[in-house]
Amino acid sequence: MMKNIPRVLSLFISLAVLLLWAAPFASASSLEKIRQRGYLLWGSDAEGGAPYIFPDPKDPSKLIGFEVELADEIARELGVTAKQAQNAWDSLIPALMRGDSDIAMNGIEITPQREKEVLFSLPYYIYTEQLVVKKDETSIKGVDDLKGKKVGTLSGTVAQDILMNMGGVDVKIYSGQVEPYEDLAIGRLDAVLLDLPIAAYYGKPNPKLKYAGLPVGEGFYGIAVRKEDRELKERIDEVLSRLVSTGRLKDIYVKWDLWNEKQAKLAGLEKLFQEKGYVSLEESKKAPIYTFFPALLKGAGITVFISVISMALAVTLGLVLTVIRLYGRPPLSNIATGYIEIYRGTPLLIQLYILYYGLPNIGISLNPLTAAFLGLGMNYAAYEAELYRAGISAVPKGQMEAALSLGMTRGIAVRRVILPQAFRIALPGVTNDFIALFKDSSLVSVIAMVELTKTYGILAASTLRFFELGLIAALLYFAMSYPLSLLARGLEDKLKRSKR
Amino acid sequence: MIRVRDLHKHYEGHQLFKGINLDIGKGEVVVFIGPSGSGKSTFLRCINGLEYFQQGQIIVDDIELPSIDRLRPETKDLETIRKVRLKLGMVFQQFNLFPHMTVLENIIEAPIQVLNTDRAATIQNALSLLRRINIEQKAGSYPEELSGGEQQRVAIARALAMKPEAMLFDEPTSSLDPEMVGEVLSVIKDLVNEGMTTLIATHEMSFAREVADRVVVFDSGDILETGPPEEIFTSPKTERTRIFLSRVLKQ
Repeated sequence: MMKNIPRVLSLFISLAVLLLWAAPFASASSLEKIRQRGYLLWGSDAEGGAPYIFPDPKDPSKLIGFEVELADEIARELGVTAKQAQNAWDSLIPALMRGDSDIAMNGIEITPQREKEVLFSLPYYIYTEQLVVKKDETSIKGVDDLKGKKVGTLSGTVAQDILMNMGGVDVKIYSGQVEPYEDLAIGRLDAVLLDLPIAAYYGKPNPKLKYAGLPVGEGFYGIAVRKEDRELKERIDEVLSRLVSTGRLKDIYVKWDLWNEKQAKLAGLEKLFQEKGYVSLEESKKAPIYTFFPALLKGAGITVFISVISMALAVTLGLVLTVIRLYGRPPLSNIATGYIEIYRGTPLLIQLYILYYGLPNIGISLNPLTAAFLGLGMNYAAYEAELYRAGISAVPKGQMEAALSLGMTRGIAVRRVILPQAFRIALPGVTNDFIALFKDSSLVSVIAMVELTKTYGILAASTLRFFELGLIAALLYFAMSYPLSLLARGLEDKLKRSKR
Repeated sequence: MIRVRDLHKHYEGHQLFKGINLDIGKGEVVVFIGPSGSGKSTFLRCINGLEYFQQGQIIVDDIELPSIDRLRPETKDLETIRKVRLKLGMVFQQFNLFPHMTVLENIIEAPIQVLNTDRAATIQNALSLLRRINIEQKAGSYPEELSGGEQQRVAIARALAMKPEAMLFDEPTSSLDPEMVGEVLSVIKDLVNEGMTTLIATHEMSFAREVADRVVVFDSGDILETGPPEEIFTSPKTERTRIFLSRVLKQ
C-alpha cells in the first residue's frame, strides 16, 4: 500500500496538469463564464460619473445613472445580474483587456483607435459635444472662438481630440468631469467642451454657466468587449436592438433627460454598423515611438521645474518652522508643531485637493502651478523641519553654551553656530527628500498640471500603448533621480569622513 | 568684583546649593577644588548664567544676575545675563570650539558678531593672541586637525578676544592627555601673572597651590573651607578636606 503512494501521487499530478492545460479550451466563452458566475462585470467609473453612473445622493451605497439601468437591462436579457467594476475612466479599456471586467460601458466613444483594441457593440447613444462658458461670457459664441482660450476637457475623450486638432487652443486636461466645470465657474478656464450628457448634468444646472452655441461633432457610445468575445458582442447587439425597437431605451433616456431627435437614428444604425461603417486608422496606433518624445520631454521639464521650486519652498519654510518650534515661545511654537504633525499625518493627495478644489469654496482660487508649488512645498516643509530638528539636536549642547558664554544672543548663536552644523548633518536627508518630492510631484496631475506622469497618462489613454510609454516615462524619472541619489550618497560619504 | 550671597539651587528635586556665600576681588585668583560632583563646576556655571538658581544673589561687577524661570525666561533677564557674560570669559572641559570654523574664525566670530568690531583689526588682534599661545601657524586649520592641548589653548584665546574682565576655567585640563596638560596650564599661568581675575575649577593640586591666591574646597554642594593654599594644603581645618586631599595627593 505504501509503495503505491508515489504512483497515485503522480497520477494526480498528471491529471491536474492535464486539467490546467485543458482549462482554457474547456471554458469556451466569456458568455458561458458570465452565466456560470451569475453576474455580468461591467467596468465603469462612478467617480463624478453623473448622469452615466454615480452614487445615489439619497443612498450613496447605491449606484444610479442611465448606464446602470442599461446594464441591468442587458444583464437581465443574459439571465444574470449586473455588477459594477470600478476603474478610473481612462483605464477602463486596459482593465477590460486585462480581464477585470466582461464589458466596459461608460460613455466610451467608438473611435478607430479603440476599435483596434476591443470590439464595440452597436451604439447605444449618439452623443454630441457641447461647449459651456460662463454666464457673462460674450466673446465665445461657439467652438470657432476658442483660439487662445483656456478650454477644459476630460482626458482621453473625443472632445480632447477635437480641441487638440483645432490648434491654438490652450487645452487643460482633467481626469474627472466635475472639476472642469468647477474651474470654469471660478474663472480658471474660459470654456469647457465635453459630451452633451455631461454638460447637461454638470454644466447646465450651474447658475454661473451657460451653453455656447449648438452641439458640435457627433459620435457613438458603444459597449466594449474583448476581441475574442465576439459571441458576447453579438448577444449584446441583439439585446440593444430589442431595447431600441421596444422603446425601452428611449424610456431610459427620457427619464434621464437625455432623449433628443438624434437618438431616433439609433434604430437605423444596426445596418450601418453591421456593414462596418468605421475605417480603422492603423497609422495613428502604429506611429513610431519617438513621435511621443517631445511631449514626454516637455512633461519632464515641467516636473523638474515644479520639483525645484517646491523644494526651495520646502527647505525655507521648513527652516522657519524648526526655528519657531525649537526657539519660539508658545503659542507660536505650538502652531509650528501642529503644522508639522498635521502635514506629516495627512495624505499629500488630500492636501492638494483641498488646496486646489477646496479653497475656492471659501473664495481663494489658486492657479494650478501655484497650487502645485504650495501643495508640494508646504507638505515637504514639514519633513524638512523634522530633519533640521534632528540635525539641531545632534549638535552637542556645549556648542550653544560656548556661543552664549561669548556673549552671543540666542539668535546669533542659532544662526552662526548651531544651524550651520545642523545643516551639515541634515543635508543627506534633505537630498533624499528631494528625490522623493521629485517622484511625488506626479501627484499634482490631479490638479490639472500636465507634467510627466499626466503626459504619459494622456498619451497612453489615447493610444493604449501603456507599456512602451510607461517604460519611457519611468526611464525619464530614473534618469533624473539617479544623479540626485548619487549626489546624496556622495554627501553622506563626505560627512562621514569629516565633521565640518 | 564677584559677590555671591545665600545661593540656593535645586535641580529636579535634588537640593544642590543650600546657601553659598563668596566674594572675589579684582585681580584675585581663586581655585575651586573638591571631589567630582561636589558642585564646583555648577558654581562657576551659575556665575555666568549657564545654570539657573532659585534663590540668593549673584552680582558681577554691579550687575545682579536674575534668578529666572528656565522654561519661559523674560527677554530682559536674558539680556542682563548676556551683559554679565560679556564681562566673563569661559573655558570648558570639552573645549567646545566651533567645528565648522577655522581657528581664526573661531576667535573673531564673537567680537565681530557681538561687539561689531572692525574685521581687519579683529583679525590682527586674533593673530597676536595666537602668537601668544604659540599656534599662529594653525590659524587656517579646523579644530579637528588640532591636538586637545592646542584646541584648549585656542578656546582660551577665543574667550580672551572678547576682552573679559575675569576668566572662568571649568576643569580646563580634565579631558587632556597628560603630556598636554602642561602647555595649557602655562597659558593660564601667564594670564594670572598679567593680573587677570581668574576662577578655576580643577583637580590639578600642585597647580592650584602654585597659582591660587585663595583655595575654595567644595563638598556636596557646600563650601567646606576657604583660605590661602599653604594653609589649606598643610593644615586643613576640616576632617573632610584632609581626607579629600590625602586621597588626591596619593594619586
